Amino acid sequence: MAIRHLLSLARRSHKPSSSFTLVRSSSSRSNAEEFIKPPPPTATIYDRIAHSLKSKLQKLENPDIRFLKYGSPHPTQTPHTHILSRPETKITTLPNGLRVATESASNSRTATVGVWMDAGSRFESDETNGTAHFLERMIFKGTEKRRAKGPEEEIENMGGHLNAYTWREETAYYAKVMGKDVLKAVDILADVLQNSKFEERCISRERGVILRELQAGGHTEEDVFDHLHSTAFQYSPLGRNIHGTCDNIKTISNEHLHHYIQTHYTTPRMVLAASGAVKHEEIVEQAKKLFTKLSSDSTTATQLVAKEPASFTGSEVRIINDYVPLAKFAVAFEATSSTDPDSIALMVMREMLGSWNKNTGGGKHMGSKLVQRVSINGIAESMKAFSTNYKDTGLFGVYAVAKPDCLGDLSFAIMSEMTKLAYRVSEDDVIRARNQLKSSLMLHTDGTTPIAEDIGHQLLTYGRRIPFAELFTRIDAVDASTIKRVANRFLYDRDLAISAIGPIQDLPDYNWFRRRTYWNRY
Amino acid sequence: MSSLLQSLLDPKKSWLASLHMKTLTNRLRKYGLRYDDLYDPYYDLDIKEALNRLPREIVDARNQRLKRAIDLSMKHEYLPEDLQKMQTPFRSYLQEMLALVKKEKEEREALGALPLYQRTIP
Repeated sequence: MAIRHLLSLARRSHKPSSSFTLVRSSSSRSNAEEFIKPPPPTATIYDRIAHSLKSKLQKLENPDIRFLKYGSPHPTQTPHTHILSRPETKITTLPNGLRVATESASNSRTATVGVWMDAGSRFESDETNGTAHFLERMIFKGTEKRRAKGPEEEIENMGGHLNAYTWREETAYYAKVMGKDVLKAVDILADVLQNSKFEERCISRERGVILRELQAGGHTEEDVFDHLHSTAFQYSPLGRNIHGTCDNIKTISNEHLHHYIQTHYTTPRMVLAASGAVKHEEIVEQAKKLFTKLSSDSTTATQLVAKEPASFTGSEVRIINDYVPLAKFAVAFEATSSTDPDSIALMVMREMLGSWNKNTGGGKHMGSKLVQRVSINGIAESMKAFSTNYKDTGLFGVYAVAKPDCLGDLSFAIMSEMTKLAYRVSEDDVIRARNQLKSSLMLHTDGTTPIAEDIGHQLLTYGRRIPFAELFTRIDAVDASTIKRVANRFLYDRDLAISAIGPIQDLPDYNWFRRRTYWNRY
Repeated sequence: MSSLLQSLLDPKKSWLASLHMKTLTNRLRKYGLRYDDLYDPYYDLDIKEALNRLPREIVDARNQRLKRAIDLSMKHEYLPEDLQKMQTPFRSYLQEMLALVKKEKEEREALGALPLYQRTIP
């Protein structure tokens, strides 16, 4: 009887207070104890919060379909034909060889107009190394018609910007002005390129500035890449520093600059590109009138390149400096020229390796495996994959900035992911990289200046402007087997070039990197 | 099959399960702990992630309960009787969040991405 009573007590639903009161009802206690019960779920703040959290998590079980419409984690290949229509780039070649190319955007009221030319530090010689950069600095300092600082002042009075850059194979001078001032900008550019006077005191002042800049620098990303080029392309023209050497800068004179203009600023190697609120016929007329004094020597840059081809040497340069906090290094393989069809596959491979820094929005959840390994384990401050193409060669690799204690893990991650591109490539990764490449190309050309730069660059490297539809088709033709073939061509068991600066004591040696350009698993 | 297992483990349906629950209730009540307080973040990193996502007040209450229980255990005492009557050992705060964390981890694994955290052997 008592046992059955106990069993029924046990079988009853769980109520600790009631069982207590039942047990203690026989003992003599005060009545107040019988009213002590566990507090309801709304008494304490943590119980209230837990209850509301439970209901919110319950809602996650049935998500609203509207939020899932575009949120699929699987990359898909979608046709982009509805966004690929662009205004046509009109190109006219003048009798003296100059190409004038414009892309008018009817909705824009500003314009960028500039001159892009196939001249750069590559086409200098060892004695004149540094002339191109010096010339770019000097060229706005006064012409015959306009006194010192005249060109800059005139553009700024119009409310525009004047800018220039010198690269290894390309130099550009461009101005961003209001649409109504485009013809004046063309006038200024023509004047500056043809009639520049290089006065002695300007030259000596600029020489001092450049020398001071050379001494001050040393640890930026640009320096890592300069060292990378100088070691990868040693004994060949691409390896020369754009700024030149200190000795050369001290001896550059008026004659050097004029000689450089005569030999390299020739009309067949120049493109006058304009985009924005411009009319093609007007620009052509202006160009015909103004660009008359440049030499039209028909040696093309390709012929000059063929005379002095670039050669890649597997090598490394390490500059140990324990007084800076972060180590920066770049690892690069030899890639191909921009006209090779495999350069598109290299661009897709660059997107597959990806880029990351601590401010990236995606964080640890990005698509690239290399980025995931780097971000989840916290082994780098930032990393990016790069792929540059020149006329007959190129570079493909990864640049990273890291604290000195994780360089071993970082190098392991980088080399294993790069070599993996030759062995295991999943179709999902390729589709994602293709979509990222397409969108980054389109997002980049979103203003008059990037469009003008794109026109100039493409006309110089490809000889024509590749329409986006064709570019997208070429990108879509890259699939997993193409990636493996291209990686086998450029990455599998090939010499590489390393350049590193900073506290790099723990960065593995060259043989370590070279061994990890292939796997023995197959 | 799974419903048989559920009915075996359900305290409302099975006598053994309810006996187990009662025993646990008594023991947890004596130290003033909840069942969810026994989940150890060092044992499973998912628990650590779930605790990171819970609001501050809940985690503070959990830590205070654990401190009180450790203190009682050191002094070889139990909680005072009136406080023992107010205990609710099976009020849960962690189970849903833990299920969500485990579901996200499985989804991430299924998509082929690397796991966000991995257990390292000390």
